[in-house]
Amino acid sequence: MGDIQSSAPILGARKNVDPGQNAVKRLQTELMQLMTSPAPGVSAFPSADGNLLSWRATIEGPEDTPYAGLTFKLSFEFPANYPYAPPTVLFRTPIYHPNVDFSGRICLDILKDKWTAAYNTQTVLLSLQSLLGEPNNASPLNGEAAELWDKDPTLFKTKVMDRHKDIDDD
Amino acid sequence: MPAAVASRFQDRRRRVFQSVFHTDLSPPTPQGVPLPSANLSFSQGLQYHSGTGPTVGSGSFYEEDTQATAQTGFYNPSDQGLLVSHTPSTSFHSTVTAVSQPSQPQLVPPDTGIGDQVAYDNAWRLVTARIALPSTVTSSTPSGSPPQDAALPCDGEFWDALNHIVNASTLLPGALRTDDIFSWHTHQVRAHFSQQVLPRLLDCLNTRPPEDGDPERKGSNQNGTNSITYERHMVIVMSSIRTLEAALGLYSHGFDLLVQGVTHTKNAAASSAPGVNIDVLASRFRRDIHALVGNSASQQLTKSLRTVLVRLVGDVLGIPAEGDDARNLKSRRPAPPTVDDHKALAARQRLHGLVEQLHNVGLSGERFQVLFAEVMDWMMSTFVCGAYAGVWSATDRRSLSSVLNTVSRSTGSSVTSPCIISLMDWVENHFARLSFEVLSRVSHDSVSPVTLSDLKTYQSLALSRLSTLRIAELFDIVLAWPDSRGALDDLRATITTSARRLQLTTHFTQALKTRLLHPGCSTLEILQTYIDIIHTFHALDHSKVLLGHVEPSLKLYLWQREDAVRIVVTGLLASPEEVRAARKVKELGKQQAEQKKAGKRPEVETRRSAGKGSLVTPTTRGVSSRTPTTTRQREKLDMDASSATSNKGSASGTGKLVELALLLNDPTKTRHTLVEDEELDWNDMNWVPDPVDAGANYKRPKSEDVIGTLISALGSEDVFIKEFASIVAERLLSLSDPARFDQELRVLDLLKRRFGEAALQNCDVMIKDIEDSRRLDDAIRRAWDEQRKLAAATPVTMSGHFLRSADKRKKAAALQRQQQQELEPTQYHARILSRLFWPGLDREHFLLPDPIVEEQKRYEQGYEHLKSNRKLTWLNQLGTVRVELELRDRTVSVDCTTPQATVIYAFNDSDDGDLEIDNDNKPPARRTVDELYNTLQMDEDLIASCLEYWVSKNVLRRLRSPSSSAPTYVVIESLSDPIDNDLPSQEDDTFGNPATTSQEGGAQPAESAKEEGSKQTIDPKEQERRTMYWQYIKGMLTNASASMPLAQMAMMMKILIADGFPWTNEELGEFLAEKIAEGEMEVVSGGKYRLVKK
Repeated sequence: MGDIQSSAPILGARKNVDPGQNAVKRLQTELMQLMTSPAPGVSAFPSADGNLLSWRATIEGPEDTPYAGLTFKLSFEFPANYPYAPPTVLFRTPIYHPNVDFSGRICLDILKDKWTAAYNTQTVLLSLQSLLGEPNNASPLNGEAAELWDKDPTLFKTKVMDRHKDIDDD
Repeated sequence: MPAAVASRFQDRRRRVFQSVFHTDLSPPTPQGVPLPSANLSFSQGLQYHSGTGPTVGSGSFYEEDTQATAQTGFYNPSDQGLLVSHTPSTSFHSTVTAVSQPSQPQLVPPDTGIGDQVAYDNAWRLVTARIALPSTVTSSTPSGSPPQDAALPCDGEFWDALNHIVNASTLLPGALRTDDIFSWHTHQVRAHFSQQVLPRLLDCLNTRPPEDGDPERKGSNQNGTNSITYERHMVIVMSSIRTLEAALGLYSHGFDLLVQGVTHTKNAAASSAPGVNIDVLASRFRRDIHALVGNSASQQLTKSLRTVLVRLVGDVLGIPAEGDDARNLKSRRPAPPTVDDHKALAARQRLHGLVEQLHNVGLSGERFQVLFAEVMDWMMSTFVCGAYAGVWSATDRRSLSSVLNTVSRSTGSSVTSPCIISLMDWVENHFARLSFEVLSRVSHDSVSPVTLSDLKTYQSLALSRLSTLRIAELFDIVLAWPDSRGALDDLRATITTSARRLQLTTHFTQALKTRLLHPGCSTLEILQTYIDIIHTFHALDHSKVLLGHVEPSLKLYLWQREDAVRIVVTGLLASPEEVRAARKVKELGKQQAEQKKAGKRPEVETRRSAGKGSLVTPTTRGVSSRTPTTTRQREKLDMDASSATSNKGSASGTGKLVELALLLNDPTKTRHTLVEDEELDWNDMNWVPDPVDAGANYKRPKSEDVIGTLISALGSEDVFIKEFASIVAERLLSLSDPARFDQELRVLDLLKRRFGEAALQNCDVMIKDIEDSRRLDDAIRRAWDEQRKLAAATPVTMSGHFLRSADKRKKAAALQRQQQQELEPTQYHARILSRLFWPGLDREHFLLPDPIVEEQKRYEQGYEHLKSNRKLTWLNQLGTVRVELELRDRTVSVDCTTPQATVIYAFNDSDDGDLEIDNDNKPPARRTVDELYNTLQMDEDLIASCLEYWVSKNVLRRLRSPSSSAPTYVVIESLSDPIDNDLPSQEDDTFGNPATTSQEGGAQPAESAKEEGSKQTIDPKEQERRTMYWQYIKGMLTNASASMPLAQMAMMMKILIADGFPWTNEELGEFLAEKIAEGEMEVVSGGKYRLVKK
């Protein structure tokens, strides 16, 4: 009993959707999830130019870790075949951490070979948040930090505070 | 040596210039100047001079000079004669050299012929002095005779000298270095032309405001329409002509002198003049001069000439000039001038004069002819476009008949289109005539420049232009059908080649794509246009081949429109009332031609108003007949919910494709379809072979068969039949009176012819079901009546204030049927449908009111009594109910659907309906959606829409309770009741029934009420959305950028929220303002928003 007027044109078959389109769709959904059920201490959002394949995220340092009270900015770059390939995640805020090097690159298995399409932005952020409290000292990018983490927590904390610097947003 | 050379130099140079450029030629140069230096100085002087020469490129001169210099350096003095003979081809140089020749004798080594040489040189000097050209050319001497030589000196000295020169070989055999005096003169003319005349011409071109009174120009000015540009160009042309005339006068004067001299010599001496043929010389001279003039015509002059020609030719041919002052449309449209049109006559004379003048001065060469051809070509295009664009109907017969007398043999008798006839006439009597007149004035040979075959060419050119115009207009022609038949006649007569047919189809397809097949056009509009296209193309080309070529894109697009089939079917099934209304509209449209142009919309509106008068009253059976949408516009709200069919029609608001029903009912059209399948008619005198561009499987159709074309255009027959079945099902279920199935049956017949009996078996069964149901229904009720009589009938009064009769349709497991109930208060009818043959009818579960359920049970029993082994399955949602609501101050009687009736019945107070009537103090019944959901087990959305229906009927009122978000509905027992006396929250109930609800039929449409409701801030969904948006904003400002302007935020939201972001920037601004007020946000510099840091 359709209304005659509701004759919105049927768009042509969407056969040749460009692959990035799927990623964008997925990211839109992820964003919606992030917004409707936000996890504490983490948040993420597409960058200001409206490019859905490039996000900015924020992690608050967990309590009872040397990073308590600090916030860290990250950047997510999603490939066009996301979620079948992991996003490239970088710390934009300088951070002193065993698994993060000085240019912000992160050593985390789920961002490399352990990635599956079941992960999403939120899980990545939560993993990173927990990584702050529990670094994987077996495969450090920052050897000194890995050493200090166990030997001298006080010095470690000092180094963390020295290195940390709130970055201004664009 | 250098010093001496230098001084001689200057002296020499001065004399050279004097001898060349001044009329008062100084006496022969003192001889004794060393030749090499002389020649050198001469060339240098030239070099110097060429820098100031205004018109001749100095480069070319320079080259010649250096060449000459080199030669001079190379040759020894005795070879001077060689130099001369080498260079005559270089105009300027050789001229000067020739002049300087008389100074040579001294240097010539003494030999036997020295005396002859001297004599020759003296003679040469004398003659050249005589015929040398003046330095100025003025147009003030239009007579053409050189002023300084008013009296022709015919003294013997001149003749003798000339004789010597001309017959040098015999008279002065000793003179070795002789030259042709005629070529000398020609060279000098060339030099003079480039040095003196061309600058003058340039001056002419630069003449801006014409000051000097030109009588002829004044004459043409009397027409009063000459624009300033035209005048200016005219002045340029005329002054150029005058200058040239003056110059040519000078040149021919010198030439005449020579010729006379030669003739004189011949006559006097009668000696054997060796091969000086005067005629040959004269024609060569004229040719040279004309070539000179023709090649010198500058672009500026050409431009001016073009303007002048365009104006004059336009006047002659009746084409208004672009800048014409007369703005009114009548005069704007080109039309052949009448015989006594003074303007045209004047222009014609002026043009003739101009062409002759041009011819005389040599400007009528190829360039002019090309220019004229271009102008004429432009004129033809302008005339065709101007005179016939948008002129589709026959021009008035008066002018036509006059034209018919003049136009002739050249056009075949088959052409009847008035446009074409008048165009042919114009080409023959104006265009070709003018061409002839002009070309015969400029052509040299006696052969007629415009032959009859040329005329045919012109006419075919004009025709092709007309066809191009019509092809470009074709889409508009289609829209204007049937008033555009005239244009189609033109087109039919002009698209004679397959190339042009191809052009037509490609162009039209393109027009379709840009003008029709886009989302802005409703399917109805597209289909209506399609019908016009079919008509138009059939009129254009009976073979339908052209139509076949333009259809594919249209078909392809229509397949994307889901509702196309439905529109076609409903159009076919349009009721007689609609058809009648449509007919009226057609008649109306004929009277008001301008409405046609406006498109279909006025038609629809008129149709509505036409239908208003015939309101159909509900039948006594309690089921309203399915009145057409148009008859019930006033009760639009009723329609919204009363039945699927009418709902669809009225909600769309655009009417139906009644054209189809019209065609279907047109007896002439039907006859055509009957003939269709017959074999080739051998007696058909109008038979023509199939068009060349027909396809391989081409089969000639006999009629335009709009319906058939349309149906076949809509894709596979399966789709169509399915859609048809479902629509017929709807209609059968909604129609109460089986006598009105005519239309359906007729369409069914049509479709059967097309698709075959088997394909439409379902529909047959469906119609039969309905007919059977009626009989069965009667039988069951008769059985009841008997029972009741036996039971000594104590009539049961139906409870309360509603429900008089009901009419339901059900579906049985194997069978379907209808039932009617007749209790005094409640009549129950049913229709029994055969499940397998009806298109999918879903069961929708909800609880019917108890009395109805009882009726159903009784009906079921009666049915099973009649037909054992069969069961009924009730399809409750498909019924219609006549409801009568007795409210405190009024009685509302409405036809509605079963769910609607069920919902309103639920407001019937549980204890007893009488209570409400009896007890005025009892508060009106109220229900919420949730309560109804629990009691009725009906789909919530359906409940909501039913409630809105009753709100629109002024039976219910919606309240919003402060506590719960779900609205409460309350019965409006009395229209005079204050809106509310017990619920404070109602004060901000802006959307309910404001003030007194007594406005007539004034309830708002259910739709809008719903929308307004959703905007209330309390709406939970809205609240949810706002929370979500706030999350987005927070996420955005936390991560993407710490501060952002409003517009960017809105844009981001629009991009990022998959379901869309419906807020405007203003709404977002309000929202953000709220957040600022709550201390969540702040505005920083540049109007950017950011989160407050905590």
